[in-house]
Amino acid sequence: MRETLKTNNTLQVVDAIKRNDTITLKRIYANNYPKIEILVLKNNGTKEYAKDIYQEAFLVVWQNVKQDKFIPQNESSINGYLYTIAKNKWMDVLRSQGYKKTIVASQMSYFEIKDEENNGMDDDILKDKRLEDVMHAFKNLGDACKSLLRKFYFEKKSMKNIGKELQLDAASTRNKKYRCMQKLRQIALKNN
Amino acid sequence: MDIKDISQEEFERIEAYLNNSLSKEDLLIFENRLQNEEGFAAKVEDIKTVLTGIETQALKEQLNEFHEDITTQEKETIQFNPKVKSLQWRKIAVAAALIIATGSFWFLNRNSNDQLYTDFYSPDPGLPTTMSSTDNYEFYEAMVSYKQGHYKEALNTWTKQLKTKVENDTLNYFIGSALLADKKESDAISYLKEVANNDDSVFKNDAFYYLGLAYLKNNNKEKAIEYLSKSDFTKAKDLLKKLN
Repeated sequence: MRETLKTNNTLQVVDAIKRNDTITLKRIYANNYPKIEILVLKNNGTKEYAKDIYQEAFLVVWQNVKQDKFIPQNESSINGYLYTIAKNKWMDVLRSQGYKKTIVASQMSYFEIKDEENNGMDDDILKDKRLEDVMHAFKNLGDACKSLLRKFYFEKKSMKNIGKELQLDAASTRNKKYRCMQKLRQIALKNN
Repeated sequence: MDIKDISQEEFERIEAYLNNSLSKEDLLIFENRLQNEEGFAAKVEDIKTVLTGIETQALKEQLNEFHEDITTQEKETIQFNPKVKSLQWRKIAVAAALIIATGSFWFLNRNSNDQLYTDFYSPDPGLPTTMSSTDNYEFYEAMVSYKQGHYKEALNTWTKQLKTKVENDTLNYFIGSALLADKKESDAISYLKEVANNDDSVFKNDAFYYLGLAYLKNNNKEKAIEYLSKSDFTKAKDLLKKLN
């Protein structure tokens, strides 16, 4: 009985993440940020750095859950995973050339992580150049198209409901979506 | 790869494939194309990346909203720190002196009101409870509790009875008295007012007096004076003299 309940809860979290459920995503975001901020601040970082690497890590976790690359047992295993990825990312920043100039190796003593920990943990989709271009293009897409594509692909609203909101019939909505998509891909290619 | 060569139909078919919503037949044809048509797999992969990109960027923008919410909450709680640091000690000293001055004024003021209250307040003695006169057993049972100082017990019964007799001035008056005796001045006020506004009530004079005391206890001197001056009691007049 208790087992089933637990499985159901796990499924609910995973399902909510896959649906981009705002309440769930916000809860996970807010619950885990303070720990990461402390980690970064203690290790020669600033709040801005903490925010950036935390958000990158969050997107990686979200993507990996969506693609079933990471199958969490429960919400706390999501929290642990998120922490590890953020920590590794911060390690990468500290190791990078730009950062090495400003700090001394001895200041990195808080970290006792081994390199193996890194293996396979953060299969990082964000490092894909093409994806980066698309994201940038979407960021700068006109409001009308951006809002339409957001409703469709992020909020997962049905074609019918989006059509209603725009006061368009199904065929026109689909065509509009297609044209927005073309526009987006054009911008993304230009950036190349 | 030329992006112009994807028609709406083709795009929608690829999207349906990625969403696992192709029919069995279409899926077979699609998989066949993936294997045999040059560049098709790359095209599908690219659409997949585009869809992922839209979703990821949309979430990224939402994360910034989440973040703002967290940091505004944080600011609200720690805002005080940086401000204090930037103040000069001289300003702090002035502020501290002011706080102490107003604080002690309030404290002394409160004390004198409190003192007057204790000097003048004694609970209403209640109604006589001889067995012969009782046609309302529950009410007088509670009156016994009241007289013994068991105010909560009395209140339990009376507030229940008040539900069916909302305007009963006797109930309102004794509920108010019990609350006042139980040190719930603010709660008492609304019940006593009910009686004070009732011109026919025999408890009217008492209600004025106790209302004045309740306001005095709450440090509302103005209201205390207002109600005390409406009461005919000599003790009300004595108290007024001390307040003025």
